[in-house]
Amino acid sequence: MVKRRRKLVSSRKESNPATRIEKNKGALYDDFDKNENHIRAVYSEASDLIFRHFYIAGKQKAVLFYLDGLVDIQELDDSVLSPLMEEFTAEYSGVKELLEKKISVSGVKELTKLSDCVKKISSGCPIILLEGWSSGFALNLTKFEKRAIEEPPAEAVVRGPREGFVETLEVNRTMLRRKIKSPKLKMKEIEIGKYSATPVILAYMDGIADENLIKEAENRLKRIDIDGVLDSGIIEELIEDYPYSPFPQLLSTERPDVATSHLLEGRFVILVDGSPFVLIAPVTIYSFLQASEDYYNRFIISTLIRWLRYVFLLISLLLPSIYVAVITFHAEMVPTSLMIGMAASREAIPFPALIEALLMEITFEALREAGLRLPKQVGSAVSIVGALVIGEAAVMAGIVSAPMVIVVALTGIASFTIPRYSGASAIRMLRFPMILLAGTLGLLGIMLGLITIIIHLATIRSFGVPFLSPMAPLMGSETKDILVRAPWWKLNTRPHLTGKYNKYRQAPGQKPGPKHGGD
Amino acid sequence: MAQGYLHLSKKLLLIVFTWGSLLVLSGCWDRVEINDLAIVLAAGIDKTEDDQIELTVQLAIPNQMGGGQQQGSGSGGQGEKPTLTKQATGTTISEAASILQQKVPRRIFWGHNTVIVFGKELAEGGIREYVEFFAHHPEPRLRSFVFVSEERASALLEVIPYLEQSSSQFARELARFQIGLRVTLKDLLESISGGARAVALPGLEYEYENVKEKKGGLNINGTAVFKEDKMEGYLDDRLTRGLLWIRNEVHLATVSFTPENADGYMSFKLLRSNTQLHPEIKDGKWKMTLAITTEDDIEENQTDLVLTDPKIIAELEEQLAAKIDERIEETLSTVQKEMKADVLGFAKSFEQKYPDEWEQVKDRWEEKFAEVEIEVVSKAYIRRLGMSTQPQGIPEEEMKEE
Repeated sequence: MVKRRRKLVSSRKESNPATRIEKNKGALYDDFDKNENHIRAVYSEASDLIFRHFYIAGKQKAVLFYLDGLVDIQELDDSVLSPLMEEFTAEYSGVKELLEKKISVSGVKELTKLSDCVKKISSGCPIILLEGWSSGFALNLTKFEKRAIEEPPAEAVVRGPREGFVETLEVNRTMLRRKIKSPKLKMKEIEIGKYSATPVILAYMDGIADENLIKEAENRLKRIDIDGVLDSGIIEELIEDYPYSPFPQLLSTERPDVATSHLLEGRFVILVDGSPFVLIAPVTIYSFLQASEDYYNRFIISTLIRWLRYVFLLISLLLPSIYVAVITFHAEMVPTSLMIGMAASREAIPFPALIEALLMEITFEALREAGLRLPKQVGSAVSIVGALVIGEAAVMAGIVSAPMVIVVALTGIASFTIPRYSGASAIRMLRFPMILLAGTLGLLGIMLGLITIIIHLATIRSFGVPFLSPMAPLMGSETKDILVRAPWWKLNTRPHLTGKYNKYRQAPGQKPGPKHGGD
Repeated sequence: MAQGYLHLSKKLLLIVFTWGSLLVLSGCWDRVEINDLAIVLAAGIDKTEDDQIELTVQLAIPNQMGGGQQQGSGSGGQGEKPTLTKQATGTTISEAASILQQKVPRRIFWGHNTVIVFGKELAEGGIREYVEFFAHHPEPRLRSFVFVSEERASALLEVIPYLEQSSSQFARELARFQIGLRVTLKDLLESISGGARAVALPGLEYEYENVKEKKGGLNINGTAVFKEDKMEGYLDDRLTRGLLWIRNEVHLATVSFTPENADGYMSFKLLRSNTQLHPEIKDGKWKMTLAITTEDDIEENQTDLVLTDPKIIAELEEQLAAKIDERIEETLSTVQKEMKADVLGFAKSFEQKYPDEWEQVKDRWEEKFAEVEIEVVSKAYIRRLGMSTQPQGIPEEEMKEE
């Protein structure tokens, strides 16, 4: 079946005029009209293609192609058309000289292939073809509407940079470059998407990142054969190691500072045009529990907050299931007075605890999903109804018990302490099988579930790095950034698995103090 | 490729099927919702006239115990009893329990039983057979407290106490204070089977404040002394205090006496106390030295003694130690000479130090215990004088300094 689908795609490929040009590996024709007709044929029925004939210095025939809306027309008129069209007598012997003398645009590229010309037009560069020359030139005058740089709403910080990536690749690239001024920051561009032709950048630090890792990443990116890339999420699913795992094996972030810190630890970053989310790999499960702010706040506080997150990760995964297991199988485990309190609140509840828990958890998930999707205008109405229905009314009506509401609320809060949304979603999803196991096998079921999850986590790797490292396999000194957040003057080495080729991050012995004042 | 795809879906199906059947087949067989449990808070065991046993259980009524705000049913928690007592008779406890189950619409659940009370009548005939149930059944806790009631245990469980929600909780909190003895089921089982062949259990009694509503309180009172597993005698409160000192279990104690050369009482509050047993066998003579060290605060001073004087304090310390000695001697004479029941832990202490000699007297320990020579060496320290070092309300010139 799969094979047949492949065939279907490839047969479509041949009928596409754009790809037919690509297949024609020949250079631009000598014949000016032929070239023009070719491009116009490729862009037939494309109402946004603008072409304009003009004479250079009133003598030589030329044609300009561009796609409306993608080009800085003001600049095109001022720096290209008007200098070229005004009468001038100076002789020139080739396109190159013409460019050097007449066109005051910095980004100019000479093209010799028709396919290249088409590509350039599509990506927003005006193309000029000249009569009598078998080459055209592309002017880098791309300009289109883009979103302003804002603070990413999903990764807000109290302290730290407030800029976030936007949808425009060039802007994102600039943000990285502004943070790392070294030429060692390499950015390989790969084009993905048969129709979308989305530029994707693989960024890494030369001399820190493992060469084999970069080669592997590049290979995986190049292997992708897809019609369009709309977001980095699509790339993520096509290059990860364990596609069936609920856990994401690439980190996505909107924050340039996060991307930069990972670059400096020897990881690579994938920027995708059109998506404010960049991908980072290889990562471990702990990457999903670290917020960028951890590194900007005082280390003692950051350590405590990290532990808070670890605790709430467990709560988010296990609290409802432990509650269900305890009150249906292990009533002797709870202190007597608490137990009697819980029994009292369950007195009038018609459902078994398992059903009650599932009911509430599903309702909470629905509420969360609805809150995400609903139009802002009705937001407050829905949230009031949701809060009342879930909280007050359901308890008053005796459909759910008050402790269950507390459990669900706490679990909901807990799942949002995980800084990375994609990691939190995995935990949220795994909660449901855990509740089912707890409701059928009790604490034994919870243990079975936990063991399964741990085995799975120990199995998977992200681009060759064990997902649980550096805790499993245990690497003693590496835990300085896992169990605690060591102060910066202690974080002298890069993480071993990604940064071993350039081990030292900074000079040792930088612990400040009055004695180190001005020596 | 196509084959692999199929294979994967097959694998997935297999996983779903096995897990699904695991969940369904295991079928939550011991799943019981907590609102389907009859939670036993306390159990009382009495003897009936025809030599059967009567089991009384105190069951919690969760709604009445103030759990949650589920007053929706309209009856209102006010005035309703928070607990319910139910009785059944049978030849064994488990038989009585199964008869009891016929009268209770929820599954009787022993997991939260914290108090076991034996009626005196039953205790005199031996308790070993009845303790066994609580150790044998998987649900009851070995940490439940065991008491002996002079009256019928059932009457005690019917008390609706003030301050606490149930008489079970009342008894438990009292036991935790360790004003009287604190014996858990585990301690009891250990000492029944231990070398001493004697057991001490705290006594529990009740008094009604409102007989009609059965409102009242409980009171830990004295100690029931068992030989083997049969109740032998009763130590009153005063003797119980001495017993606590010897067993190194005293935590809350106030000693009051009139110091020499002074009028009025002085009260000393125990800070901490340590009792060590030093067994010794010399020329066939068995001797036990009790080394007691107590540290006390002065809590009340009715006399005209000025406490800042170290000489006075030294004298008081001596007198305090003597006072404690006196109490202990009293208990010793009753327990050792009259009852001949080793509830003091001597047997264990001798066994540990002189295992060979112990082996010889093991079978006639009761006689041997009565012959053991006992020496009490106590030392008291006064640590803090309280907020006023001088007696209050006395003109300065009348204060006594040495």
